[in-house]
Amino acid sequence: MNNSHREELHTFSKIVKATQGADFGPALQSSLSRRRFFIAGGATISFGALLAACGGSTTTEIARIGNAPEKTELVDAPVTDIALLRTATSLEHNAIFVYEAVAAAGLLSGDAATLAARFLSDHKAHAEATASLTEKLGGKAFSEPNPRLQSIYIEPALRLIAGDKASGVSATDDPVADVLALAYALETIAGSTYQVYIPMLADPALRGAAIGIGEQEARHAAVIGSLLNPSRLVSSFGLSIAAEYQEETDVPAAAYAVPTAFGTKAPVPVTLGAANESGIRTSLNLETPSLNSMVYEYLDGE
Amino acid sequence: MTASKIISDSPVRPTEADTELLASAQATALAVRDLYHAAVEAGAGGDHVASLVAIAAHHDAYAQAISSLIGRAAPQARDSKLFAANKADFGADTTAVALAAHTLENDLVAAHTEVVGALEGTEGAALVASMIIIEARHVVALATIAGKSPVSDTDLFLVTPEAATADAQTTTTIA
Repeated sequence: MNNSHREELHTFSKIVKATQGADFGPALQSSLSRRRFFIAGGATISFGALLAACGGSTTTEIARIGNAPEKTELVDAPVTDIALLRTATSLEHNAIFVYEAVAAAGLLSGDAATLAARFLSDHKAHAEATASLTEKLGGKAFSEPNPRLQSIYIEPALRLIAGDKASGVSATDDPVADVLALAYALETIAGSTYQVYIPMLADPALRGAAIGIGEQEARHAAVIGSLLNPSRLVSSFGLSIAAEYQEETDVPAAAYAVPTAFGTKAPVPVTLGAANESGIRTSLNLETPSLNSMVYEYLDGE
Repeated sequence: MTASKIISDSPVRPTEADTELLASAQATALAVRDLYHAAVEAGAGGDHVASLVAIAAHHDAYAQAISSLIGRAAPQARDSKLFAANKADFGADTTAVALAAHTLENDLVAAHTEVVGALEGTEGAALVASMIIIEARHVVALATIAGKSPVSDTDLFLVTPEAATADAQTTTTIA
């Protein structure tokens, strides 16, 4: 039941209570009784409409209260080595898309542009490697950015950095810092994805190949982390080391060359874009592809 | 929405062969931890001493995690040969320590990558994979501490030495 229905019932209830036991003349009493009847009838009709709306039906039968929608069977999508490799390839193409977009927009220059070009080249090599492995297993290689990650992370992030007049989004004040922050998060997630896939891959030999690519992504992230936070390369948060080596803050920095003792599977937050009127910037949480973001083989037929 | 099902039928727990590899990895982790401790005690680190101490703590955490995975099979002692072979490089000179540690961590990445490809049990493979991701980041941090530039010395930061990857002897020694 939604708020408007609740308010409607609440109003009816107050009217009914207000008229109960009042000393009206017989004519007026008779009129109110009729009104009460209409009110009760109206409430019944409202309930009926609400319940009918809850149970959608596509049949041509007369609508009944409580009809259940027809059950839609879920697609059977096994997480095969091929599906994992295709998803990994798609993630490489997300990174390629970002670095190419940044280069085309001329957002980086100097050393940052040089490093970005190297990272772009590495991601192209990784995409070729995972595509080749996919084909060796008898699968069809995927050659596009992951559609789900593109729509929920990449496109919104680039819109926050470059701005979007149509949506009223202002461009960021510091595009270089934002591009580096996005690249750090993206590279971290890329490394995490390969790490997460290790126990899911059925073939141990593929695990070695996958983590060999994952550690390259981790190096990319670490280089960016060392540029963003050069004074503290290795975080001590969560470590039981002597107090003299702990960081003098309660909040970890946004980036480190080495943020944790073990590779993380946690979401990586990234803050981007111009501040709003309250001075707050937008934060995105980048995560490794979930089961519903994978590039299954059956998707080729859709 | 899909009805996803992971179909890997690999064993979850470490097999006998896995246990041997993981035991060796624990001894290596303890040796590397002690090398960093020796360097810090000798006075190395400078502005980055906290980072060296934290990296030592990471290797200690790896040893503990392996111990919890293989239980009594864990040696709980460092690889004394590895420690002795590298001890001289982990003295008071921060740059020399960073370069030696950089090489050591790169070798660990290469060796552990081969270990992941050899492990049958998924718990062990997942653990070593999570160590590799951070050891690769250690390489970058140590190159930075050594004063190298990711632009002019790019390969020091980004490339896992092929020789180490292909060297079976290294894999046996540093597992």
